[in-house]
Amino acid sequence: MLLPPTNAKIVARRAEIIASLREIVPDGVVADESGLATFDSDALSAYHQMPLVCVLPSNRQQVSEILKYAQAEGIPIVPRGSGTSLSGGALPREDGILIGMGRMKRILEIDYENGCVTVEPGVTNLNITKAVEANGFYYAPDPSSQVACSIGGNVAENSGGLHCLKYGLTTNNLLGVTFVLPGGEIVTIGGKCGAQGGLDLLGLITGSEGLLGVVVEVVVKILRKPPVTRTLMASFDTVTEAGACVAAVIADGVVPAAMEFMDGRAAEAIESYNQPGYPLGSAAILIVDADGVEADVSHAISRVTEIVTQCGGKAVEATDEKQRARIWSGRKAAFAAMGKLAPDMICMDGTIPRHALPFVLDEMAKLSEKYELGFCNVFHAGDGNLHPLIIFDIMKPGEFERAEAFGADILRLCVKVGGVLSGEHGVGVEKRDLMTDMFTPEELALQGRVKCAFDAQGLFNPGKVFPTLSACVEQGHIHVHGAQLPHPHLPRF
Amino acid sequence: MEKIASEAQAVEFVRAAREARTPFEIVAGGTRRQVGKPMADLPRLDVSGLSGIVKYEPAELIITAAPSTPLTEITSVLTEKGQRLGFDPADWSRLLGSNGVATLGGAASADASGSGRLRHGAARDSLLAFRGINGQGEAFRGGAKVVKNVTGFDLPKLVCGAYGSLCVLTELTFRVFPKPPLAVTLCLAGVEPEIGFAALRKIALSALEPAGLAYLPATMMPGVRQGAALIKLEGARQPLEEKIALAHGLLGQAAQRIEEDPFPAIASGEKFADVPGHVWRVMVAPADAPRVAKELNAQHWLGDWAGGLIWLAAAPADASRVRAIAAAAKGQAMLLRGSPDARAALGLYAPQAPALAGLSRAVKAAFDPLGLFNPGRLA
Repeated sequence: MLLPPTNAKIVARRAEIIASLREIVPDGVVADESGLATFDSDALSAYHQMPLVCVLPSNRQQVSEILKYAQAEGIPIVPRGSGTSLSGGALPREDGILIGMGRMKRILEIDYENGCVTVEPGVTNLNITKAVEANGFYYAPDPSSQVACSIGGNVAENSGGLHCLKYGLTTNNLLGVTFVLPGGEIVTIGGKCGAQGGLDLLGLITGSEGLLGVVVEVVVKILRKPPVTRTLMASFDTVTEAGACVAAVIADGVVPAAMEFMDGRAAEAIESYNQPGYPLGSAAILIVDADGVEADVSHAISRVTEIVTQCGGKAVEATDEKQRARIWSGRKAAFAAMGKLAPDMICMDGTIPRHALPFVLDEMAKLSEKYELGFCNVFHAGDGNLHPLIIFDIMKPGEFERAEAFGADILRLCVKVGGVLSGEHGVGVEKRDLMTDMFTPEELALQGRVKCAFDAQGLFNPGKVFPTLSACVEQGHIHVHGAQLPHPHLPRF
Repeated sequence: MEKIASEAQAVEFVRAAREARTPFEIVAGGTRRQVGKPMADLPRLDVSGLSGIVKYEPAELIITAAPSTPLTEITSVLTEKGQRLGFDPADWSRLLGSNGVATLGGAASADASGSGRLRHGAARDSLLAFRGINGQGEAFRGGAKVVKNVTGFDLPKLVCGAYGSLCVLTELTFRVFPKPPLAVTLCLAGVEPEIGFAALRKIALSALEPAGLAYLPATMMPGVRQGAALIKLEGARQPLEEKIALAHGLLGQAAQRIEEDPFPAIASGEKFADVPGHVWRVMVAPADAPRVAKELNAQHWLGDWAGGLIWLAAAPADASRVRAIAAAAKGQAMLLRGSPDARAALGLYAPQAPALAGLSRAVKAAFDPLGLFNPGRLA
């Protein structure tokens, strides 16, 4: 991965820059080597880089002053939330200030009358739900890393989760932000009224991967927790039947709260890992959640059961909360289970039109033979978001390179069938050089001009998302060694 | 006026306009031309020939159509498969006195989200992808035809509500939603705004997934004392009955069932068509609705989106008062109907704070550096 070259003049001024930042945030500048080591990577651990300096502001005025200073001095800025990005969005720069938002973690207002919560960006996704659940509310987007990931990071990545088909992504659950522009100006966009009085800049900022500015306050919608949730597991002899079942469920008008697909390889690995009770020998397994008021859920579960049977599958409903948890525990352990099969693994993240699933799985099997590497698939079937896991052994010469090439081919395949490079992990540095496979030069130039509308000097997160340099390595993956992701305690995908 | 019927012709037209430095107005069905700042008498690009459904995939929950496809055509095709657009597009033509045909592209460009926005979000929440021509005369796409995508900037959000100021749209892909087989509206009559809006918010913040929540004062609902809260619920037969029972429980009383759906006439603004004066859409935090409605003190008004949207008719002399009340409530007052002079003076929205206005101008320039598309209309 080639990043824009380091500016040696900035690096040479390090001591002076640290001193200036200490004037702005006296108690929040990290400059010693061991302190900075904590920040040298996010969850895309294949890439490491020590930042020039890390600053941890505790209020918006400090953020504003840091950005004002950085712009005046022409110093790059890399924003960081909790550092759980799987695409390298928070990878530091040797000549850049890493601005960590973790200290700004106050919940500012809970407004049940309007169904919204106002928070600082460092509040974790799960802590929003925890703050309101006693009153029967929750925050809907639930990325797997929700115990650790911050809401500011969720805005930057437009994070999803298991329930996107029914409840949307971050962008659909966001009412407003307060945002500091490069240069330090503080602007409020949207708010409780849900209107902006002009172009939808809130929509543009959401998912902009730290390229446009820094979020310092967030207003999100909260929803009433559905009174009933029921879970169904279905197994199929062929992937085509399972794919047809997913399509039939959607076409029937059922909107499941979650609909997860696992191919036979994944199911087998999981079953031998933690025995959630997945039937062996199936080509595919679906797990379907329905939530809502009792009668709606009953209706959905009985329709899905009928459709599964019509499509040639076998459906079993979880009889109690314990069995529900057991079925889901398998799905959530997919990553760890695959890790048992080989020392190393990379996880991809693309979206495809649902109907392309059988074709994409066939093509992946061919690629697997070509690259002589094992793989399996977990898939958010409701919204078409595919997470192939490729296993390999980094100690065997050439396997890592083959795994990377395999992964990049899978993402190209997603684009070829009408899908996208990333459904929820973001582009970051990971998929940056594949952007040319998805967008024309004119389209990339237009997005580049939008970036310039906010950041004329190009100081914000340089080298991320857009391929500014020629492609030099195949990419598009998360590298895992010994089944350990960074933040190994977090469930993933 | 030049008429085009393909993306290639659109490219050609924009390139010629760019060459000649000639700004122009983009017109599809023409029903919303009287919204926003009037443009000087500019040449018009008639895009009504860019019409028709390109591809409808019910099992993928997406529909792709040319921008000038009539809303009625989209609705009837979707209804056949038991689906609908999430943003419940509103046709304002009767309110605005137009004989044109309301189109998909027009509804998206104006973010004409109807009462159903409450459940599935605004136009911007459903537009997955589009094709368009930028101010350089280049055809490009934004977004992708899948429901989950974080690859690059989310440009589809920007074109919704941009009133054609960013590009000439040539194709739109929307996510669609299942349309529940049955719907019923409950009417809680004889309640003051305070009580009525509180009832609506109770339902809005429940798990009942309501499809419409509006309050109409007596002036807008002849025969009703004080006013009425209207609650639209949906589902298959059994779930719908359960939801009605739950709603009655939340309301603490039984509300009357109305068989005819009152919401289309609320979202279209037609209740104000024969009322003189300006027509405003004021967006506020829902809990502020009773207070804001009282301050606005209009004879003809109603609240949709559980109070998040207040429609009102007001005398032209009241314009600055309406804007000031909205601003004080941290809301937005959009002038939907007014004379050309009033629209020129007041703009569609109140002027933005300088930093935001500067950003909006810069984003517009990223798409349209020469200011060719609908100049000044949104500003």
